[in-house]
Amino acid sequence: MLKISKDQIGELLNIWAKGAKVFVPQENGGTSQFKAWEGQGKLTLGEGNALEPPKDLFFPRTETMYRYRVRDPEASLEELAPLEEKRVLVGVRSCDARSFAIMDDVFLTKGYIDEFYRQRRENTAVVALACTTAQPTCFCTSFGIDPGRAEGVDLQMWPLADSYLLEAITPAGKDLLEQAAALLTEAADEKVPAAAQPSLTADVGGVTEKLQQMFEHPYWEAVSRKCIGCGACTYLCPTCHCFDIQSENRGDSGYKFRCWDSCMFSEYTRMAGGHQPRPSKKERLRNRFLHKLQYFPERYGKFACVGCGRCLDRCPVSMDITRVVREVKEVTL
Amino acid sequence: MANAEQVNPLVPQIGKIIKIVEETPDIKTFHVTTDKGKPFTPMPGQLAMFSLLDVGEAMFSITSQGPEHLELAIKKVGMLTDALHEVEVGQAVGIRGPYGNGFPLEMMKGKDLLFIGGGIGLAPVRSLINYTIEHREDYGRLWIIYGARSPADLCFKDDLFKNWPKVKDCRVDVTVDKGDADWKGHEGFVPAFVEKLGPKPEGMVAITCGPPIMIKFVLQSLEKLGFKDEQIVTTLEMRMKCGIGKCGRCNLGSAYVCLDGPVFTLAQLKQMPDEY
Repeated sequence: MLKISKDQIGELLNIWAKGAKVFVPQENGGTSQFKAWEGQGKLTLGEGNALEPPKDLFFPRTETMYRYRVRDPEASLEELAPLEEKRVLVGVRSCDARSFAIMDDVFLTKGYIDEFYRQRRENTAVVALACTTAQPTCFCTSFGIDPGRAEGVDLQMWPLADSYLLEAITPAGKDLLEQAAALLTEAADEKVPAAAQPSLTADVGGVTEKLQQMFEHPYWEAVSRKCIGCGACTYLCPTCHCFDIQSENRGDSGYKFRCWDSCMFSEYTRMAGGHQPRPSKKERLRNRFLHKLQYFPERYGKFACVGCGRCLDRCPVSMDITRVVREVKEVTL
Repeated sequence: MANAEQVNPLVPQIGKIIKIVEETPDIKTFHVTTDKGKPFTPMPGQLAMFSLLDVGEAMFSITSQGPEHLELAIKKVGMLTDALHEVEVGQAVGIRGPYGNGFPLEMMKGKDLLFIGGGIGLAPVRSLINYTIEHREDYGRLWIIYGARSPADLCFKDDLFKNWPKVKDCRVDVTVDKGDADWKGHEGFVPAFVEKLGPKPEGMVAITCGPPIMIKFVLQSLEKLGFKDEQIVTTLEMRMKCGIGKCGRCNLGSAYVCLDGPVFTLAQLKQMPDEY
């Protein structure tokens, strides 16, 4: 195993930035997000995860899909050049690494491949950072996630007091280590630190089966009462993947773009003519929790929650998915 | 069922409107083709994402097709459809698809088919009616029951009153909610009309589409007549953006209407949340 001094992390990022665009959690206007590394910046690789999940590196909050020109009655369309930018995503926690597998299910399976997502995903190497301290809102272990070792990544890092340990998992990870060989030394005595142990848990065993019998249960009326439908949970969720498609016109040219959408909003399902299958926050909140805990497991065989805790940390009315799981398991049918 | 020719499923082909038929005061049928001919070849009941590039894109059923074109019957109900009703022949459009499962043709083979449509809901059903007429020997008797608000709102009048009644073993019954001075046909809502006509469920499959409220009552009427859940087929509509099961909004439980639907049997629907 190799190691690098924490003092040299900027140099490491500089080396990787020569061959790729490097994204790493940094402080940015009061929040922490995966931001492009430009030689300097306030890294937030200490305790806790970036407030904003890294999903927008694969699935940007706003993304141009194609351009067009309309001179009635004629119109033409121009596809975008393939995205070839190589990227390295550094400091991804185990929970967010699992979210990539969930997003892969959505965007890369079931008959259709989303080309926009695929290009970014395939051109990105992922460097994980193990958690040694859990935040009060962390519950990744409830989903069988190991905070000390991420799934599906190229390179794993572990924090020690003054250094990081590094282990390549894939050829891409090995290549990253080779690029940085001058900065790395052999870790002789250091041991991989103990993984964080979240105190918060969600006992999700059997919750899917229970929810399958609860669609009409009065619980949803009660639990949705305090929701204000702001949608913050869906924007901060690393696995929420809903999007809208819209046009932006300037004169006779324009472009089609997609942007994040939220099942918490009434516009999301409202049809032309006014029919609304989910007329109130009860139906919308129910759909969100059922999607995470029942529909996604039914469709893809895994929960669409990774226990990152962002939603319960930032919800203005303290909606807590771990409590919802507990209450769902307790209610009588 | 991804279309091999379309590399990026979210990017439409550019098509052109070559004919517009005014069906009713608020429904027009658009015939669409491309420079390379028919945009794609859908099965009955499948869907197309249709757009005016600078206005918007929405999912529509494909009501019929010819060797070189697709037909979409579109009711004026919102921003995009208002704009579509203003365009003229020659207008460039975006089109992508085909999407969805389509009608269960194998299950229907050899059966008598009862088609029940209301308003613009006849559009998706018509793709199957025309298909079964083209493959007449594969199906039993055809019975079409259709209703609209008024005589002026009856869609596909040529088919209802000229073409379909001429087909061998094909019966057509039409009702309107309220007639006018010239109307000599039946007056009344579709579900009650169905019960009055009293089709027998033996060896029959019922296919229904219309406004959500009509579908709900027609399903009750069919159950009253003794149709089993497996004998009743309907096609649903939901707001859609991607059409390929990714954007999230058209889910009914863990199924996506754009991908796993829009056609479901009542037996399937009863296994799913009542949220359409």
